Amino acid sequence: MTARERLGAVLVYLTLGGAILLALFPFWWMLVTSLKRPVDIFSGVALWPQQLTFGNYYRLFNEFHFGPFLLNSIIIVTASVGISLVIGTLAAYALARFRLRFGVRRGTLYLVLLVRMLPGILMCVPLYIALAKWGLLNTRLGLILIYAGLNTSFVVWMMQSFLEEIPRDIEEAAMVDGDSRLTALWRVVVPLAAPGLIATAIFTVIATYNDFILALTMTSTPAAQTIPVGVSTLIGKIEIQWGPMAAAGVVGALPIVIFALIVQRHFVRGLTFGAVK
Amino acid sequence: MSATAETLEGRESRVRRLRTASVPYLLLVPAIVALAGVSLYPTIDGVQASLHKYRYALDVGYTGADNFVAIYNDAVFWTAMARTVQFTVCTVAIETLLGLLLALVVARELRFAGLIRVTLILPMTIAPVVVGVIWRLLYASDIGVVNPLFELFGFDAPNVLAHPLTAFLGLVAVDVWEWTPLLFLIILAGLQSLPQDPIEAARVDGASALQVFFHHTLPLLRPVLLVAVVLRTIDAVGTFDQIYVLTKGGPGTATQLISIYAYNTAFLFNQYGRAMAMLISLLACLLLLMAVAVHLMRRSSEIAE
Repeated sequence: MTARERLGAVLVYLTLGGAILLALFPFWWMLVTSLKRPVDIFSGVALWPQQLTFGNYYRLFNEFHFGPFLLNSIIIVTASVGISLVIGTLAAYALARFRLRFGVRRGTLYLVLLVRMLPGILMCVPLYIALAKWGLLNTRLGLILIYAGLNTSFVVWMMQSFLEEIPRDIEEAAMVDGDSRLTALWRVVVPLAAPGLIATAIFTVIATYNDFILALTMTSTPAAQTIPVGVSTLIGKIEIQWGPMAAAGVVGALPIVIFALIVQRHFVRGLTFGAVK
Repeated sequence: MSATAETLEGRESRVRRLRTASVPYLLLVPAIVALAGVSLYPTIDGVQASLHKYRYALDVGYTGADNFVAIYNDAVFWTAMARTVQFTVCTVAIETLLGLLLALVVARELRFAGLIRVTLILPMTIAPVVVGVIWRLLYASDIGVVNPLFELFGFDAPNVLAHPLTAFLGLVAVDVWEWTPLLFLIILAGLQSLPQDPIEAARVDGASALQVFFHHTLPLLRPVLLVAVVLRTIDAVGTFDQIYVLTKGGPGTATQLISIYAYNTAFLFNQYGRAMAMLISLLACLLLLMAVAVHLMRRSSEIAE
């Protein structure tokens, strides 16, 4: 290594170190604030809790009743992701394996892209009107149906590309052995596509768990409100409770951070809808 | 007798063939119903609403294009549109330049690549609402970090969210923090998959680093850059959560993007018709962008194949 190359390497890792510090420090500040006592929060910039306490988390769940938001989020995410994985994978299989006529393929793909590209803000008013008509405002079922539809777009797109990577011979062999199309798909193809399926599932979990604007507009009470909406109601209070608010942020971020660690390898592909692998 | 049996058999096999042929279409039905149910179906309601007048959240009848005329004569609407454009242009430009710069500095096989990727994707993975919470904690005038940081370097404490200009810039900074890593990772992946031959050849021919960059690297990188910029633009135009949490569009209308204004119009003032007129106008702009995006994605996937 010449001196010049070594200098170059130092520059690269210094730049990256700075970028990583900038990316992580805000998280650290939230975590530290959530673990401080109220007096310590107001006593200047301390990068470490003067006295470690979980009081803010206790208050979050007891005084601010955060439990129902967590429960709603778990139910809504699980149900909607489950539904979209099933119907999305079936559709992806049809797109990946069959020659479709009458422009069905093109039509489906345009619909998939349309749903992915429409920002939540654009759909919140029409979906609100539709949900009101069906009497599903402020219900978990209403949100489950909406998220199931939105997630299907992502599942179809991702699973189609994962399924195309699986050779046809394997399922054809299974069908010769007496499987039908669907049992071959279930017994042979799905296990082979499992890594892709899991990555897709985690992405849809993240997107659903994080959504704010649709949950905000479709719900009005803790009977159906999800975690992001719960967090925003803490901010709405007249006097901001910094400690519990930071704790709520940590609770909102934690599961997602864990999931992100699992799918980091696929992350860019997922966020760009497969445009960049 | 035997003739009837034959036709029966023929019909049966025809039925079986038809059934086999219809399988792929049947597999698509649930997905298409679900997708159309959250896009085309509500769009019909939405377009209808844009042509109706609402009073106290109740539909009081058809008004033709009145809602559209009303918003086009509404100065606040145009301010919100302008804010949206300013916000989108600022954030996407800064993120792309920063991401490109970082990727060029780093362009090499990295040690700890996985670890680096994990840390850099965190800001864009967590809920935008949590991003808002994080930056409220940083910007807060009584407990934050940003004010003390400015004072440390001898500046006045800016109280970021209290003044129109700093509030706007503060929101741009939040977006840059959240999304620059995405541009960086996309561009880095693009750089690493570029064919090295033309770049090497140019270097051997004595081209300077800048010439190599502008004549070879940048043109080769263009498809990746375009997809990234278009996707980011579409998302930036719809930015809502962070602003709702940080400023709710204030102070005044300094950070009121069209998303915030349309939301308030619909759900604070219960003017669904007028909100839909705004959103349809926004959609018209976005559809143009989407057409570009679909076109580019198709081309880039053709190249990949």
